[in-house]
Amino acid sequence: MAQDLYDRVVRTIIENQNQYYRLAYSYVQNQEDALDAVQSAVCRALEHYKELKNSGAVKTWLYRIVVNESLSILRGRGKEVLSGEEAPPEEPYEEKGFAPPEEDLYLHINRLEPETQAIIKLRFYEELSLQEIAQIMEMNLSTVKSKLYRGLKALRLSLEELSIEEVDV
Amino acid sequence: MNRMEEAKKRYDEVPIPEELSKRVLQEVEKADRRRKEEGVIRRPHRRSLHVWQKGLVAAAAVMAVFVTALNTSTAFAQSAGELPVIGAFAKVLTFRSYETETEDDLKISVEIPSIEMIAEGTGNLADSVNEEILAMCEEFADEAVERAKEYRTAFLETGGTEEEWAAHNIEIKVWYEVKTHTDRYLSVAVTGAENWTSAYSETRYYNFDLEKGRQVTLSDLLGENYAAIADESILSQIPEKEAESGLDYQEEAFTGVTGDTKFYINEAGNPVVVFEKYEIAPGAAGRPEFEIAG
Repeated sequence: MAQDLYDRVVRTIIENQNQYYRLAYSYVQNQEDALDAVQSAVCRALEHYKELKNSGAVKTWLYRIVVNESLSILRGRGKEVLSGEEAPPEEPYEEKGFAPPEEDLYLHINRLEPETQAIIKLRFYEELSLQEIAQIMEMNLSTVKSKLYRGLKALRLSLEELSIEEVDV
Repeated sequence: MNRMEEAKKRYDEVPIPEELSKRVLQEVEKADRRRKEEGVIRRPHRRSLHVWQKGLVAAAAVMAVFVTALNTSTAFAQSAGELPVIGAFAKVLTFRSYETETEDDLKISVEIPSIEMIAEGTGNLADSVNEEILAMCEEFADEAVERAKEYRTAFLETGGTEEEWAAHNIEIKVWYEVKTHTDRYLSVAVTGAENWTSAYSETRYYNFDLEKGRQVTLSDLLGENYAAIADESILSQIPEKEAESGLDYQEEAFTGVTGDTKFYINEAGNPVVVFEKYEIAPGAAGRPEFEIAG
């Protein structure tokens, strides 16, 4: 049984590695860190797979680990002196009440607070359902929804612009 | 296209580095070994390979892996395994594996992938292509083993003991990836990794013309003036790449395309020139690729 679950985790990782990489990249914005994030996520997943209770949720559980690893690399950046070959691009935090409307949406999303950022990326980039996102974020559905709306508002995106079915409400 | 679609497009266009599947495999192998040590896996290693290899093939990624592990204690053994693969292209992967002892009592185990294409029309070509890929992997592994041997000699001469050497657990992996397989062309990338040095993680590309049964050159694809055509195309693409990545490419380090320039053939049948990491751009750019549209 443990063997089945292990094999399943391995298979899911291998089948979805590109998606995990893109998600990690969207946070760290460079290849080396994105590779590191995926690698440590895989390591963590294979060490802790037994803690996964719902074997149907392998895919979403892995997304969660990838998001966590990416965020921890970003947090590490604040502390360490960079010795890498390329300095990461500066990502200023969003100032409250100020959002230049013409700005590049991709960059703008990356400046949202981490949870909202994850919800928007998973919803629109990875095209997951709100239920799946709730599972990944370990939040209830209504919290996910309200964070999503607040995020979209901060991005000055209307539901019309996204087409309402897409948002699942 | 609305703004969200544009953002998603940008997200989806992030190139997947070849190193990704390698790094993922590394972790999976590490975990496999850990579980074996803990006694969790009671099945032969061969089977554990199969499980994730099926997944790999489904992901159309790495097709086969062989591991040359120095310091394994098994005596000569030979075994064969077969793994049928149902993918976009009907292929059969056959593993041949054996372990050998060398003159210095270095024990080396090698697993070699070979492919047999059962696609229609390839006829007896399959065998020659097969042998060629095999030879490339062997050549790659041989060179890596040589380097590891030199390292071992240096290590022992400078006061290291056999036990300490064994603890290094040196591993050499070589695998290949089918980049493209069209009716006309087969492009294969052979990559090696040595766990004690990153200096040699080199990728070589081999392009076969399945109709003519021989390797393809840039001049076959672009004509006699291939060098001028490719140079011009690459130089004109550099500014775009710089704009996309925000990295400064070193144009002056680009010395021009020659018959030895590495490339593979993409689905469209165009050559894609690949530079090594650091060759013409900062490491963060990875291995820059340039499609030369004919």
